[in-house]
Amino acid sequence: MLPFVSPEPQVTPRHPVGGYSNGYPRGKTFDILPHRYQPRGTIPTTRRRTQSLLRIGAVAAILFLILLYTLLREPSSPSSTTTSTSSTLSLFSLGLLSSSGSADFQLETVRYHDLSSVQGTARGWEREERILICVPLRDAEAHLSMFFSHLHNLTYPHHLLDLAFLVSDSKDNTLGLLTESLEALQAHEQESMHYGEISIIEKDFGQVVNQDVESRHGFAAQAGRRKLMARARNWLLSAALRPYHSWVYWRDVDVETAPFTILEDLMRHNKDIIVPNVWRPLPEWLGGEQPYDLNSWQESDTALTLADTLDEDAVIVEGYAEYATYRPHLAYLRDPYGDPDVEMELDGVGGVSILAKAKVFRYGVHFPAFSFEKHAETEGFGKMARRMDLSVIGLPHYTIWHAYEPSVDDIKHMEQMKREQLAQEQAEREKAERAMKIKESFSDAAGQWEKDKVGMQNIAQEDQKQKAPAGDPVEAVSGDNAAVSQSKGAAQPAGGKVEEKVVA
Amino acid sequence: MARPMGSVRLKKANPVTLAIGAALCLFILYFLLGPATSDFSASRKATAASHPLSPPTSPFRKSTGGKLAAPPVAHYNLNNVTTTPTPLENSENVLLLTPMARFYPEYWDNIMRLDYPHELITLGFILPKTREGNDAMRELQKRIAKTQQQGPEKDRFKSIIILREDIDPPLVSQDEKERHKMKNQKVRRSAMAKARNSLLFSTLGPSTSWVLWLDADVVETPPTIIQDLAQHDQGVLAPNCYQRFWNEETKAMDERPYDFNNWQDSPIALELAQKMSPDDILVEGYSEMATYRTLMAYMAQEDGRLHEEMPLDGVGGAALLVKADVHRDGAMFPAFAFYNLIETEGFAKMSKRLGWQPFGLPNYKVYHYNE
Repeated sequence: MLPFVSPEPQVTPRHPVGGYSNGYPRGKTFDILPHRYQPRGTIPTTRRRTQSLLRIGAVAAILFLILLYTLLREPSSPSSTTTSTSSTLSLFSLGLLSSSGSADFQLETVRYHDLSSVQGTARGWEREERILICVPLRDAEAHLSMFFSHLHNLTYPHHLLDLAFLVSDSKDNTLGLLTESLEALQAHEQESMHYGEISIIEKDFGQVVNQDVESRHGFAAQAGRRKLMARARNWLLSAALRPYHSWVYWRDVDVETAPFTILEDLMRHNKDIIVPNVWRPLPEWLGGEQPYDLNSWQESDTALTLADTLDEDAVIVEGYAEYATYRPHLAYLRDPYGDPDVEMELDGVGGVSILAKAKVFRYGVHFPAFSFEKHAETEGFGKMARRMDLSVIGLPHYTIWHAYEPSVDDIKHMEQMKREQLAQEQAEREKAERAMKIKESFSDAAGQWEKDKVGMQNIAQEDQKQKAPAGDPVEAVSGDNAAVSQSKGAAQPAGGKVEEKVVA
Repeated sequence: MARPMGSVRLKKANPVTLAIGAALCLFILYFLLGPATSDFSASRKATAASHPLSPPTSPFRKSTGGKLAAPPVAHYNLNNVTTTPTPLENSENVLLLTPMARFYPEYWDNIMRLDYPHELITLGFILPKTREGNDAMRELQKRIAKTQQQGPEKDRFKSIIILREDIDPPLVSQDEKERHKMKNQKVRRSAMAKARNSLLFSTLGPSTSWVLWLDADVVETPPTIIQDLAQHDQGVLAPNCYQRFWNEETKAMDERPYDFNNWQDSPIALELAQKMSPDDILVEGYSEMATYRTLMAYMAQEDGRLHEEMPLDGVGGAALLVKADVHRDGAMFPAFAFYNLIETEGFAKMSKRLGWQPFGLPNYKVYHYNE
């Protein structure tokens, strides 16, 4: 019991023995107490009650202070003081103010999830199925704004989309810009534009391969690069996949054009793994367009035979003359007017845009960062999924467009073209200027001609009216002649200009 | 005002009344402050997630019933997640994963005895959706509620994740004889591998440093097992799994080797594998298929050094400490024949392919339940 001091009540004997209050003694009669009448006291009952209440209140206050003291002392870290103060604050506010963003909250430590309820179905948006969107990033600052506009336009309910980004070995401001853009997304005034869980994961793998197009796509660098990419993808996925995800969508940041409904479009097929066709637009002089992602293919016998001849750690990569596999590629089978719902079975997939059921990753299929059946990363992912009897499908006529990044040769060629274009523009500008000058320096002959004509007519009319002497018509004719000579003069420089153009 | 009978009013204020009043005040105060004080300490709250959509390896704020704000943009720097031989000093998070078909109270008592700080341990369970699984689930939840809600705070784990499998149960019986029949091995272990992977990849999250695999039927480990195994600083490390039994001959408790999946390869086994189709699996512990592998189960020495290491080519899942990085690199439990190996043995092979050599501790023992 807590120590407190209470005055010892001085109880006076209340019931004197041996007589009634009226003073008459009684003999052996039955005593009923009290024997004496006592007035109810001069202090009104209300005040008496108040006083005792005050006393109890005082004791309670002391106890409360002691409690408060112990509460404040209990936490050891300085940051925690706020927590417990706020919990005592909630006492005063009777918990009404607790929702005002203070640190007053309770913890839930146990989570229960039934994985059979997040299997992924064809109409996930109706069943509130969550999609994890995984985006690996490296020096991608330039593409971010484009990516966010795509994200904004997705028609899948945004609150069901969880975003996970892996920023690795970036030297530019990818991380800063990404954070800024994401925070803006979550602070959007429209609640329907808010996304679900957003994670930015930083991990440096110490990549030695440069990210520019030339070194990225060089043959020698491929195996190492693909294994590193695979590691990055696995780190991202393992850190971001939660028990509540039904789907996982892998998307490269540098996709330029894709349908807003791509998630629903791919989901509708209800396949374990599905990829669209990936092309890229090209400048006119390169043919306008080109298949981009050659990692989506069907296995061929040639490739299997080739695989048997390679050593355990070798990685077959597509699109290089060194490994001629003669595989049917998804990219080359595109018909711009074909049915976008046509499906094609695949063995290897490209990583630009993959929609997969989350259970695929839960069962252990991942992006091999080692040579798995002579493949790594996304191609190995496709192979491993096939190994586990999962469906791997490509859509040859459903196309998204990857951004065009010119190669070094292309850049040289484009510089050459740019110079030519500039020279041509310069020439045209000069031509226009010259034409202008000519126009200004020689006045237009046609106007003069008209004027003279009118003048002549007037003169003729006057002649007819006045029947003037023969000198006047001569004057008019001479004026006519002048106009003719003038118009000839105008024609002369024009011919010179044509000549000049040919020379240019 | 005169109080001729001033003392009269004092007769009510006797100490008992005051004591009762004070007790009542305390009682009320307790209930007003109760939920907050009986909840977690502030240091734990500081590391909690603010939204239910968050890594399950951390607890989250209970919803107060109001409308939830949009989840925050969360940063995780995995460069700062260390995995060192001294996990205790670096406050490294451990994820203890257990696929559970049956609940053994001894298992729970054992993990309660772990002396690694419980606030750094996250438990993950996956249970099949069968009647047996439901029973285990009920038992498990009882124990969890007791620990997490009523237990002292130092006993409470950081967070607990319970998953139910989405895999159709391959076998009706978990009976030991049926379970260990050779022809059932591939189907059974393939389902087991899927369950392990589902558990692993749904719970790993961005802050885990170590993953400790502990089977539900491992009922006795040294309480310092996490620190002991971590000090070896190996990517994959397996202690030796034994079983205690009543020896009729010596009339005393004795122990015998139990888990035969920790082994070093033999030329004969490699030759056997060479002849097999790539979809077949080579399993250990069956006389029909003698592999002559070096089994760690038989390597324990009475007077051997406790912390002696040996490299392994196959590991068992009874108890296994894995650096989270190994799993993040992609090492998982193949549910298909991977180099003619499956599940935990395939995992060892895959770790090796990724550059993490598994090791075993022949003299460091954990004990399996005796059925």
